[in-house]
Amino acid sequence: MRQRKLKSWTILAASAVALASLAGCGGDNSNSNSNSESAASPKASPSGSAGQQAGTEKPLDLSIMLPIFKTNYPKDDGPVTTEIEKRTNTNIHLEWVPNASYADKFNITLASGKLPTIIYVPDVKNPSFVNAAKNGAFWDLTGYLKDYEYLSQANEVILNNSTVEGKNYGIYRGRALGRNGINYRKDWLEAVGMQPPKTIDDFYNMLKAFKEKDPDKNGKDDTYGMVLVKWTGQWASGFDTIKLWFGAPNKWGVADGKLVPEHQTPEYLEALKFMKKLYEEKLINQDFAVFDSAKWNDPVVNNQAGVIVDVTDNAARLDDKIHAALALEGKDNPDVHYVDNMIGVTGDHGLRALPTSGFAGMLSIPKSTVKTEEELKRVLSFIDRMNQPELQTLAGYGIEGKHYTLDGSDIVPSKDAALLESEVEGLNQMLTFIPADQGLKVKQTPLRLQTTKIQKEAEQYIVPNPAEPFISTVYSQKGQQLDNIINDARIKFIVGQTDEAGLLSAFETWKKSGGDDLTKEMNELYAAANNKG
Amino acid sequence: MKIRTEPSPGSGSVAAAAPTASLGRTRRWAKLKKDKWIYLLLAPGLLYFLIFKYVPMWGILLAFKDYQPFLGFWKSSWVGFEHFKVFFGNPEFVMLLRNTLILSFYNLLFYFPVPIILALLLNEVRRAYFKRTIQTLIYVPHFISMVIVASLTYVFLTTQGGIVNGLLEKYTGSTIDFLASPDWFRPMIILQTIWKESGFGTIIFLAALAGVDVEQYEAAIMDGANRWRQLWHITLPSIRNTIVILLILRMGEVMDNGFEQIYLMLNPLNREVAEVFDTYVYMMGITQGAFSYSTAVGLFKAVIGVILVLGSNWLAKRFGQTGIY
Amino acid sequence: MNKTYRTFGGTVFDAANYIVLSAIGIAAVLPFLYVVAGSFASDAELTQRAFFIVPHSFSLMAYKYIFSTDTILHSLINSMYVTVVGTLVNLIFTVTMAYGLSKKNVAGRNMIMNLIIFSMLFGGGLIPTYLVVRELQLLDSYWALMLPGAISAFNLIIVKNFFQELPPELEEAAKIDGCSDLSLLWRIVLPLSMPVLATFTLFYAVGHWNNFFSALLYINDPEKWPLQVMLRQIVLLSQMAAGSADSVDYNYVQQAQQSIKMAVIVVGTLPILFVYPFLQKHFAKGVLIGSVKG
Repeated sequence: MRQRKLKSWTILAASAVALASLAGCGGDNSNSNSNSESAASPKASPSGSAGQQAGTEKPLDLSIMLPIFKTNYPKDDGPVTTEIEKRTNTNIHLEWVPNASYADKFNITLASGKLPTIIYVPDVKNPSFVNAAKNGAFWDLTGYLKDYEYLSQANEVILNNSTVEGKNYGIYRGRALGRNGINYRKDWLEAVGMQPPKTIDDFYNMLKAFKEKDPDKNGKDDTYGMVLVKWTGQWASGFDTIKLWFGAPNKWGVADGKLVPEHQTPEYLEALKFMKKLYEEKLINQDFAVFDSAKWNDPVVNNQAGVIVDVTDNAARLDDKIHAALALEGKDNPDVHYVDNMIGVTGDHGLRALPTSGFAGMLSIPKSTVKTEEELKRVLSFIDRMNQPELQTLAGYGIEGKHYTLDGSDIVPSKDAALLESEVEGLNQMLTFIPADQGLKVKQTPLRLQTTKIQKEAEQYIVPNPAEPFISTVYSQKGQQLDNIINDARIKFIVGQTDEAGLLSAFETWKKSGGDDLTKEMNELYAAANNKG
Repeated sequence: MKIRTEPSPGSGSVAAAAPTASLGRTRRWAKLKKDKWIYLLLAPGLLYFLIFKYVPMWGILLAFKDYQPFLGFWKSSWVGFEHFKVFFGNPEFVMLLRNTLILSFYNLLFYFPVPIILALLLNEVRRAYFKRTIQTLIYVPHFISMVIVASLTYVFLTTQGGIVNGLLEKYTGSTIDFLASPDWFRPMIILQTIWKESGFGTIIFLAALAGVDVEQYEAAIMDGANRWRQLWHITLPSIRNTIVILLILRMGEVMDNGFEQIYLMLNPLNREVAEVFDTYVYMMGITQGAFSYSTAVGLFKAVIGVILVLGSNWLAKRFGQTGIY
Repeated sequence: MNKTYRTFGGTVFDAANYIVLSAIGIAAVLPFLYVVAGSFASDAELTQRAFFIVPHSFSLMAYKYIFSTDTILHSLINSMYVTVVGTLVNLIFTVTMAYGLSKKNVAGRNMIMNLIIFSMLFGGGLIPTYLVVRELQLLDSYWALMLPGAISAFNLIIVKNFFQELPPELEEAAKIDGCSDLSLLWRIVLPLSMPVLATFTLFYAVGHWNNFFSALLYINDPEKWPLQVMLRQIVLLSQMAAGSADSVDYNYVQQAQQSIKMAVIVVGTLPILFVYPFLQKHFAKGVLIGSVKG
């Protein structure tokens, strides 16, 4: 019996190993790609001159992997897609991936070796991408951009932010830099008889008035100043904006030519104390640490809070929601704006604004799919040409007459949401908006016009993060944990669960848990980057 | 067909002793041939396990490599026990272990009996219409997305105008910060689980109860047994086997906590009791894209799980239960 | 059926039982009623009222939107197909193997059981399984959703145990009458195991219906996406992880409206909710009456 057992185990093991090795081999990133969609056309001159006539060369076959945010999506043979193909002399295959799983799909695609012509990379710092890039998975585009009409105008700062070890392995998708600011209820401000705040003290007084003076005039003491949430990401980053007003740096400050973590500056502590004061005086929602971030606009719309420190384009959205809510009760006044926005208030350090990184992911071109430089140039030419204002409008809003009508030079989108979603929405994911969004726009209400204006204006006041382009190994391993130490400590301090001593001891813990290593590594990268000149 | 003279299958293990080797072997082949349909029935399942479970097993080795998707398996470098060192050496390891185990234990202690009790209560209902209605109702929460459950929990329990705190304040003058308090985290999670999963969990017990021979009840009644005694002597034993099996299998999951639920209820103020292995690995995973690391942790969990399953199975057998074998 | 004599204690218990169960039933279904109500309400109302069962404002907008293109309808059909065929596949694989393993004298039984338990806890993971599916040319086909999960070890073990619990006299009697193994399975064992089969039909069906991750992994053609993928897209849109680059995209991506989210949940949940009542008759007592005399 034992002999038989051994025999059956051996057979089993052997077959498992055999099958496994077959599968394992197949799993290697064999660059023998069977993707038949990379047509090469050797004779064509692929410079990106905008007036290039279609028809002198075969259309370029390309596949693009993009995230889809809705449940409907534009098809390959849809009218807008076809129009884009006509104007850029391409044959496009869209690979839509639900954005909720994009990261997983991205990794699997890397592992499977079958990549599309252009792939959207959500996080430039993600180790699987960094590793792939360093190992030659993607074309290094650094030297090529200057040859193209629009790509050559790419913003230096953002280009720098999106590098991996100094090289651009993709083209960034541009987003407004100066997006953060203060959104507040204009009608409330008027109701309490105050002017828009200019200094931090004004801001404090505004919050206080919102709490105490019954700005929604309903006779109940049910309002407070500002709404805050538990996230500290790029959006919903209330505290990250406020701390700048006090002079704290944006993630890393520079002192004596060296990088210093933001929480080690006295200004940071001052900002935290201000937040604590706001909390104690009940000027911010008392449950912010557990507040469901999906709902954080609701208190402003529901007449509970008056201020939200966020991306300034949120003001228009809030405004729309308030109009909708009032319309339900029949009390709406469509000509008035209920919400207003501004860049920020000043402390002792002047006006300072929190920038975004300036981009939302990149479009990268895999070497396994695009095998020759000729073809690469054609692909770049396509991406470049998509920055033409007409094409930006096309991909953003669709075809005139079908998906929108023109009111002067303003776009009035069709009310058929389903039509838009299945033919247009999502195509703008492939736009890089370099140097900017120059297409036609939806009719701009005064609020939206103001938003665009102050976002541009904020660019002079932004406080960049000097360490933005650096990729740190320590951060990849422990970053999230380290961030949690600081974030937890500061929230506990604000709500009063720890005192200042506790806060400072948490900062010490941060140092010992890897924070010191992180600072050291960042400084080495910083020095190296500065020496390059 | 001929009447067979050999002992029928199913009546216990067949004696395998054979006087000589060759006679034993022929006997074995004869038995195989006789049972050939059984082996045929086993074949598809075996094939399934081989192809879909055992061929991918090489993935376990990723725990010992620094796996990068682009490089693939062979080109990614070996790191030996590096990931395990990082995992065990993490100063928060003890906290994670403690949180994971306590939550799991609470789940076992407080949640596990609930579907059983519910099933027994339902079993006592005689109006079929009522029983089926309640069954369908309690089965619904299983399908509600956890995201909604978390959102509704917030609405009920927040200190900022939440329903429960509103009542508390009215009658006692003070509020409880359920969502932020470390003391309330575990009870809150267990209550959520009970609400969400007990209904669906009754199904398997109801199935077991349905298999009880009704004549047994009739016989018991004639012997003068009241409802409690019927419960004790007939109903409970009929589901005892199911309970034991579920318990044993549950042991394999002692390190799992249901990532999504915890992740949604986790926040900076309750992290010290809320952070468990699953959320920790997820957190590490975002920044690291760490297949290898999460594989290593998964391996650790699996080893513990196997030990516990086999251990509890052995224990069950000692007490005369069938166990999972 | 249950001819107990009525006692006072018994009646009190019954009354209390009814009350308790009713309360539990209501508590269980309330949140779902909220979701249903929300799907018929306007977004403004959803912002204002945190929880309600009867909407003040009534609007069919969400449902009109959902069914205006056939994407969601199409994915619903995909889900139904995968659920029905997939569950059939599950049952065939699971029942055959469980039955085989329930026979204690089968050669290699212990080894197979060990293999199964081991595989229940240890697994290769995402990428290796993906590669197997790819090598088998199953990518982008519905088989990729049905085969990799064909047997759940957990279910297998429980079904096997149910089979083992069947009285052995049943089999002996059948064998004496000249029944073959297959015939025994088909004509006697299965009909007697209806509660178990009903249970696991349900479990597998629910598993298929709720499964979105496999589809995300293996299906590239959006035409083949099941409903849950769509649902996740909509419901999770607002739960963007902090620090992810997508969050910066807030301006460029229109958020789905609350009421639409709720409507998608209703549409995604109702079909599977109806499966249970159909299977309920198998959970009635008395299935084994008279099967074994004495």
